[in-house]
Amino acid sequence: MKLSDRIQDGVVILEPKGKIMGGPDASLLHDTLYDYIKKDRRKVVVDLGQVDWMNSSGLGILIAGYTTLRNNEGMLKLANVTDKIQSLLTITKLVQVFEAFDSVDDAVRSFK
Amino acid sequence: MDKPIISGDTITIPSSLDHLADVDLFIESALREYGTPQVLIPDIAISVSELVNNAVMHGNKQSRDKMVTVRISRANNAVLIAVTDQGTGFDPGEIQNPIDNENLLKAVGRGIFIVRSLMDTVDIVPGPNGTTITIGKAIA
Repeated sequence: MKLSDRIQDGVVILEPKGKIMGGPDASLLHDTLYDYIKKDRRKVVVDLGQVDWMNSSGLGILIAGYTTLRNNEGMLKLANVTDKIQSLLTITKLVQVFEAFDSVDDAVRSFK
Repeated sequence: MDKPIISGDTITIPSSLDHLADVDLFIESALREYGTPQVLIPDIAISVSELVNNAVMHGNKQSRDKMVTVRISRANNAVLIAVTDQGTGFDPGEIQNPIDNENLLKAVGRGIFIVRSLMDTVDIVPGPNGTTITIGKAIA
């Protein structure tokens, strides 16, 4: 997995690319997310449009990030959720947890 | 042993999550050789990654002296993948339900649930010298 990150209108955009299966890629996503949280960034969008698939390790990082941000008056949202990941979110009932948007722009706008 | 070993239909890895990608490459390559429809490959790959994660972390406790073996085979119109660790076994009945409200926001505990949801068959054989979990999926 490769990971890009940027700031758009004050919102952190994380753009993983490839498969999130645990191990080194999960650590990279986790560490990058938490680096931003430590810098007091509280609005995060994870763009999943280029993620081939993820397993429970990836979901766990998203949930942990979501919970940490929510407990600190922040929020983590998803954008460009592919059918495969949507299926996983549905199976695990995490569709009830994460707000998802069709585009990063829509997700960023939702913070205003 | 600090590198994966591939022998025919089997890959053996040391107990490190650094080798998840090696297993994924091996499995997806084998699935394509079997003519598995592309739409099914991610579900099978996800399930294998879940089992290997569990074997490394929970079965073998990341002990470098212990191995995880993944064997793939074809039986009629289905693919079978067996993941074996060298741990001390576990009770599948003790796994909490990750979709219960009190567990929904937990960061861990979804692996087996996801495997059961995505695969046609899941057979867990725990033992004092290792656990083998065999998953099956119809591919034709």
